[in-house]
Amino acid sequence: MLQPGLIQLLTASDLADLRIDAIPKLQVGFRPGSFFSSFRSQDGEAKLTFIPQQILLNKDHELFEDGDIHRHLYLQNLSTCPAHDSPTARQCEFRCYISGCSQVFSTVEDYEHHYNTLHRHVCSSCQRSLPSARLLDIHIQEWHDSLFSILAERQDMYQCLVEGCGSKFRTREQRKDHVIKIHKYPSDFMFDKVKRIKNIKIAKNNMLQKGTSMEVSMSVSEPEGVCEVLSDQPEEEEYMEINHSLEPGILDPASNPINTVELSTDHDTAPILSVTIQPTTNQQRPQHNRERHSYRVPRTVCFGQGSVQGFRGHGRRI
Amino acid sequence: MWRLNAVRHKAGRQGSDLEEFKFKRREHEKELRRARKDSQLVSKRLLLNDDEEEDGTMDTLASDQVVELFNIVRHGRDLVKKEADLRALRKALRSPSAHLILIKQPNSIAILVTNLCGPNPQCRLEAARCLHELSHSPHSEVDSLRLRQATPYLITFLSGQSPKFTELCLYTLGNMCPDSENVRDMLLAQGIIPALNNCIQIHRTNLAVVEAVGFTLSQLISANYVTERIIPAVLASGLIPRLLSVLTPDSQFGLGPVIECAWCLHYLACSNVDNGALVAQGTLLHCTSLLVTLGVAVAKGSIEEGIELLIWPLLRCVGNLLLSGPLGALQPQLNDSRLLAALCAFPQAFLQTHPALARESVWVLNNLTAAADSSVFCSALFYLNLVPALIQLLPFSHGINIMVLRVLGNIAHQGREYCLHLAQAGLLPALCATLKMADTEVVTFSLEVLGQLMASDPQLAEEFVKQSGLPVLEAIQYSNQETIRLRATHLLEHHLLPHCPVDTSASQ
Repeated sequence: MLQPGLIQLLTASDLADLRIDAIPKLQVGFRPGSFFSSFRSQDGEAKLTFIPQQILLNKDHELFEDGDIHRHLYLQNLSTCPAHDSPTARQCEFRCYISGCSQVFSTVEDYEHHYNTLHRHVCSSCQRSLPSARLLDIHIQEWHDSLFSILAERQDMYQCLVEGCGSKFRTREQRKDHVIKIHKYPSDFMFDKVKRIKNIKIAKNNMLQKGTSMEVSMSVSEPEGVCEVLSDQPEEEEYMEINHSLEPGILDPASNPINTVELSTDHDTAPILSVTIQPTTNQQRPQHNRERHSYRVPRTVCFGQGSVQGFRGHGRRI
Repeated sequence: MWRLNAVRHKAGRQGSDLEEFKFKRREHEKELRRARKDSQLVSKRLLLNDDEEEDGTMDTLASDQVVELFNIVRHGRDLVKKEADLRALRKALRSPSAHLILIKQPNSIAILVTNLCGPNPQCRLEAARCLHELSHSPHSEVDSLRLRQATPYLITFLSGQSPKFTELCLYTLGNMCPDSENVRDMLLAQGIIPALNNCIQIHRTNLAVVEAVGFTLSQLISANYVTERIIPAVLASGLIPRLLSVLTPDSQFGLGPVIECAWCLHYLACSNVDNGALVAQGTLLHCTSLLVTLGVAVAKGSIEEGIELLIWPLLRCVGNLLLSGPLGALQPQLNDSRLLAALCAFPQAFLQTHPALARESVWVLNNLTAAADSSVFCSALFYLNLVPALIQLLPFSHGINIMVLRVLGNIAHQGREYCLHLAQAGLLPALCATLKMADTEVVTFSLEVLGQLMASDPQLAEEFVKQSGLPVLEAIQYSNQETIRLRATHLLEHHLLPHCPVDTSASQ
């Protein structure tokens, strides 16, 4: 349990070297001008406030509770082998900070997986989360750029999804054919179907039916454009026609005791790449164009919700 | 004399007995916690006599039988027989119901006191045992006030020579101390403190008596409202050096006496009445010295059962005494750098069994590193390569990681060299992990420490970015906790973005 370095230090026989006043002291102080700038907000509060402080604890302090209890159990002859019943050190949990997400994880890896899956590469227009920055770019370009559809009439604008390929096509269908033929994607890969974002309630019920282990705060994804998470939702609603009423407490971490996020693996042919997160409000719906550079920067507290990955095909909406 | 062995024997019973015992213990623990919250945490000790099993059969006598026994004692004239009569009465008193019966008898206490001071030593012993049983009574009617006729005698006998008898008197008095402020004032007036001083001097080679003195003193000074008279009296009495002499590292005394004396020192130090006097009498030196010895024992793997009962009060005593004056003045008493190693070893050794002890150990480190002249200790932590051991404690809750972050923050505040050394020890990736934790306080402290690191040298900001720290801070900006949002934003704006372009394609 003890590290060897510590053991060596404590069991060293030569005591002369161990005097504190014999230890070289590091230089104190900072370079001029490199001190903390104590940034003041509007109400004049300093932002970074830690000051080293010695702490005096009186006998009734709460920090002393466990030790006192242990002592009194001993006095009352109730001590036993401590290993059985005492509180053991708990590892801290990790929490996702995206507002409204609030999920808690027991390991860093779980948290990072969650974050990378749901909150990275999110399109701020439609809250869909894409697997990579490149696919996000393509998504934004094809779906939220009005210039795109104009240009697409005259030139090949639909990029191949496979990185490094570089081919471009005049229509979605052509791209789809290319990807299937050349890159050997399965033909029932989730191309171009318009994803519908279900009402949470329906999503939850379906989810429970399907027995997926997805977090209830995420909607079950329906087959949609490329790279959608699959959990075979039969019906598809029109995109953006659903009023997303938030179930009370749905995003309350306490009501979602599941710690890890798992993506559904129902569909075994298409890659599982994207996740849809149920949006909590209807705010981020506008179809109008946005500045390109703002896509990556979420605008409101709804960032990360309703993240749906993939592409929305023309098909359904026409 | 308390031996943990005795308790272990009890716990060694198999099967349902053990489960029941554990269940009872858990229930009891809950009660104790409740009592502590009400500042009513009090324990009494019952000395068992040689002729009794711990859980021997107790014949609960009918009330008239008890009365009968008492009357025999009261009226008996034959001293030889009286001893047997008293013994019979004492055995009857093992059963708490007999207590109520006895105290209802007229002059019952007076009769016992008469025998306590009588000519026959055996009768004295038996009478003392009877009073001892009463002092441990669960009934609130049998309170110390009722027994107060006995106290002047009990106190006087503390200066006597007979160890067994003295031990009884001590525990009886010790059981009475917590009952009320009136009782304590009375005991103080009757001279309990000089008597204790005398007693520990006379019986200094008898570990059972030393332990009893420690216990009684701890009961006296751990009660509420003792800072005005009792603690100053103790500080002035000359008891401190005697307590300290029990703390010698290779004491042949065994753990019991040392534990009691250590808890006394803790209660004295945390009352903060005159910690300068405590330090002047060598308390800090002795306690740190013993902590080092215990650290060495822990390093060697020879952790005796119950050793945490000793480590706990020593840590608390040292922790509080560090505030008694400027650290520079205390340094001669803190000159053994192995103290720092011990303070890092205890958390590692006790993390799973007693996390609160781990936390208190780090608290002492905080007090060592937070003072104005702590630079020598901070430097020592690097020199002895102890910082990685602290960083390894960061995943743990129970307040441990917050205390560790305080220590790291203290070190970072010393200066640029210290910040660079902290980074070398691997603090930045560790902070990337703590920044993701659920506990807001942990995140806040992490941001503070991170801020100090980055402010000290831009190279640390670059290093943080290399550790993929940027997305972590960006994520925190969306937290619903304003405190951490503002700090994260501040760090991004002041230390990170000016130094490197916000590279959103960095994830590609």
